[in-house]
Amino acid sequence: MTTMFVQEMVQERAAEGHAGGFDAGEVIIHHVANSSLEDPLIRLPTLLGIDFSVTKHVFMLWLVAAIVFIVVTWAVRRYLKQDRLIPSGFMNGLEAVVEFVRDQIVQPNVGQKWVSTWAPLVLTLFVFILGANAIGLIPIFDVIGLLDHYVLHTAEDSFVKHLLRGGTTATANFNVTAALATITFGAIIVAGSKAHGFVTHWKNIVPHGLHPLIYVLLIPIEVMGMFVRPFALTMRLAANMTGGHIAILAILSFVFLFAELAGRAVAGIGVGMLVSVPLAVGISGLEIIIVLVQAYVFTLLTAVFIGMAIHVHH
Amino acid sequence: MDKIHFFGAAIGLGMIVIGAALGIGKFAAAAAESIARQPSAADKITGAVNLPLFLLEGVAILAEVFVLLIVLLK
Repeated sequence: MTTMFVQEMVQERAAEGHAGGFDAGEVIIHHVANSSLEDPLIRLPTLLGIDFSVTKHVFMLWLVAAIVFIVVTWAVRRYLKQDRLIPSGFMNGLEAVVEFVRDQIVQPNVGQKWVSTWAPLVLTLFVFILGANAIGLIPIFDVIGLLDHYVLHTAEDSFVKHLLRGGTTATANFNVTAALATITFGAIIVAGSKAHGFVTHWKNIVPHGLHPLIYVLLIPIEVMGMFVRPFALTMRLAANMTGGHIAILAILSFVFLFAELAGRAVAGIGVGMLVSVPLAVGISGLEIIIVLVQAYVFTLLTAVFIGMAIHVHH
Repeated sequence: MDKIHFFGAAIGLGMIVIGAALGIGKFAAAAAESIARQPSAADKITGAVNLPLFLLEGVAILAEVFVLLIVLLK
């Protein structure tokens, strides 16, 4: 009896969503996912069967890379031009970050001999992931959308309108994080090859001196482990970023759901003021912590895996 | 009965949260106890705790992603 009632309610809600009411699921997915592939920002040709058109997450990747590159190189160049190398202001913070990554993340895992080889890669990963995560938290494109709606009134197909479709967190897209994890995968192999030689690196994946029959079981497990670790890196970063945004959006959509349920806007605004906005602010605070922590974890695990390839512990 | 996958997803999600909370809770308890035993090693212990903590959290997040997949893809 109860199941039938619940089923009725769910069907009613689904029908409502389709009938032009507020479909929370669709709005949330639209706000987090990439812009549509059929409708990209900049249409580029298709080479070798791969469509190179620029969707929103690709655009965000370029934007984040440009911002990070310009900010860091400008700060460092200005610092290096001084007579006495005393950092101040932003350069001070940057130096603290670099020292933290180099001394607490790279050096304990990789060993003193290889720090200068691997610290640049690890630092790049850290700063890029931090930048991409953080820029996803800033709702600049929503502000541009407001401006567009009330002031600019650009055409339906314009670049500005395209900027409003899809989410801004580049690292919430698992393709982006898969690319970063592929870099880690390659780095592990290169690290092992540099430290021990190409063939020895592959021989080091399994411990030596065991009974031959055990190797039949052990080698597939180790090979699978080699692929599962970058996959876990991918999914961890992508899921954390998506999850945070979905949580914030779901709580904010209570406003609209209650407004529709009660039939008047005041109910929605009331619920919004009392419940939704404070809760969303709290979760946004948590999001900031998660942004920092996930960048740290990705970098730490990369350093650990590189260290494992260099110092074979078995 | 064709909507039973929602039920399965919800139960799965609850179990994930229980598992992750138990694991991370035990970890935090052990870390706090060992720092209480030897306060001078606090930094090292915190450093050692970081990595498994986030691996556990990663497992929980991975599982949540799969649950979301069940709900979205039916």
